[in-house]
Amino acid sequence: MVDFSLTPEQESLRDLARKFARTEMAPHAAECDKTARFPEEIYRKAYELGLMNLNVPSEYGGSGLGVFEQCLLVEELAYACGGMTTSIIANCLALEPILLGGTPEQRQRFLAPFCAEYHLASFCLTEPTGGSDAAALRTRARRDGDHYVLDGEKCFITNAPHASLYTVFATVDPEKRTKGITAFVVPRSARGVAPGRDEEKMGHRASSTSTVRFEGVEVPEADRLGAEGEGFAIAMRTLDQTRTPIGALATGIAQAALDHAAAYSLKRVTFGKPIAEHEAIQIKLANMAQAVRAARLLTWNAAWTIDGGRKGTLESSIAKCFASDAALHVADEAIQTFGGYGYMKEYPVEKLLRDAKLTQIYEGANEIQRTVIARELLREYA
Amino acid sequence: MQIVVCVKPVPEAETRLRVATGGATFDPEGVKFVLAGYDESAVEQALLLKESVPGSSVHVVSAGPGPRTEEVLRSAIALGCDRATWVELPGEAASDPIAAARAVAPALENPPPDLVLCGKQAGDDEAGLFFSALGELLGVPSFGFVVDLRWDAARTAFTFQRPTEAGAERWEAPGTVVVGLQQAWNDPRTAKLPNILKSRRAPIAKVVATPAPATNRSEAFALPPPRTGARMIDYKTPEDAAQQLVRILREDAKVFP
Repeated sequence: MVDFSLTPEQESLRDLARKFARTEMAPHAAECDKTARFPEEIYRKAYELGLMNLNVPSEYGGSGLGVFEQCLLVEELAYACGGMTTSIIANCLALEPILLGGTPEQRQRFLAPFCAEYHLASFCLTEPTGGSDAAALRTRARRDGDHYVLDGEKCFITNAPHASLYTVFATVDPEKRTKGITAFVVPRSARGVAPGRDEEKMGHRASSTSTVRFEGVEVPEADRLGAEGEGFAIAMRTLDQTRTPIGALATGIAQAALDHAAAYSLKRVTFGKPIAEHEAIQIKLANMAQAVRAARLLTWNAAWTIDGGRKGTLESSIAKCFASDAALHVADEAIQTFGGYGYMKEYPVEKLLRDAKLTQIYEGANEIQRTVIARELLREYA
Repeated sequence: MQIVVCVKPVPEAETRLRVATGGATFDPEGVKFVLAGYDESAVEQALLLKESVPGSSVHVVSAGPGPRTEEVLRSAIALGCDRATWVELPGEAASDPIAAARAVAPALENPPPDLVLCGKQAGDDEAGLFFSALGELLGVPSFGFVVDLRWDAARTAFTFQRPTEAGAERWEAPGTVVVGLQQAWNDPRTAKLPNILKSRRAPIAKVVATPAPATNRSEAFALPPPRTGARMIDYKTPEDAAQQLVRILREDAKVFP
């Protein structure tokens, strides 16, 4: 029988994330949003509690969680602050290529020392001319004896200014398109690695985003993940693993928006009664609640599919796409419920809209998700 | 040093309780039970002592029904307690502090541990009887409202204070003592994720207790009446709001002439 209840273990993991989100993250969310401060002390605490390297097996010092458990935690964290959550889970994205493409020796060499103390890593795929069209990337990897030389620029890279390790996708031959893309592990300390300045962003302002330049960076062959030309597959398989938690992140933002709107609607009085008693607001709340629950169930379904050993490309694309659209819609309706107050920065809901927007864009824009969904879907009919 | 810490599963503070059929207690259906309040401080105190005195271990004990009792014991293990004993007792008996102490006393070490820590009262019924009943049954002294508990290695004794209205009492206990700890003078730690996972697989010793005859019983349980009397001031400017508030306080509430 299908069972949507959580095990006691899952409940205690969720409780940990909920407590951390409410006591450590939420009190600083507005301030970090206003000043675009990167609250490293909060990320250190998240690391200390085991909330950071969630997908890394415990033998390498990570938390070794399945995608479902990751989603439970990520939703709770995002309920308090989407931006902080993006920075907390960026390691999962950056380290997944090492888990998927690394040899046992590479996994041990890169992950064990990395996870033994607080470190940030960044996933370097997107370029100024190629985000959704990842196969068009221009960063070059030229073979030179027993090493490669990397040249190029990445952009919109989460945590890049603070990271000590980068997983970088570069092409050994642009003519080969996807077949030329190769994955590398590059330490920040390597000569020629230069993260740029923090970007000013609309939302997720507690997170840090910048370009990373690679100028004549020498990378030993031993630090290449997989064979030459396997990088594109590694990147796509990575995103298959990490897309679902973005659905959970969006669900957390949406749940926060619904909770704010519902609580406000019971207090705010117009025409002699709380606005919750006006049908117009009830319809809003009912629609918001449906969107939040559908987002969560689709996310759980995708996580369950992937944890069951299936690829889950279709399910995770549906979850990410639906949940992020839902988050934007629910945050929008929360602002509308608050009326003029919702538009004011003094109230918490306008931040939710700005944070929700990014979930439609990053980790595969929703246009790409729909392309993937249609392709996977039509395969079933062909 | 052998430290025992006794804990009780209590409803999470945010839980909305409902009155059970019969009206004598609350309905446990759907209620989340947690390690909370004074007990959380007691566990933290036990762990601080363990960390400061080499070779110490902490044994956490709880009496009550499943699954809530097992769950709070796992929470305590996740925080760092070394082993756990679940004294299985029906909910009714476990909510009687004297009966609970009678069930727990035989489950403790023989010879007795160096220290038994409890919250000074449970976070739900706040009876504050368990620690003194347990001290009586074990034949050792017991103290409530304890703060600043330390182990003084030079004097081989526990030292602690009890805040009173007249000032602070300072005590020294050379032998086994049962302590009911005051809340919030330490800052209870949060269990780390890997320790939560490990705690799920930790063995828990189980003792089935024969409930002692009840010493009391709950006759009625009622929720507090909904709060009333709040009054909103409709105003145009802050000055207007202040003037109206002053008028209400003076003329309606009569809090000043």
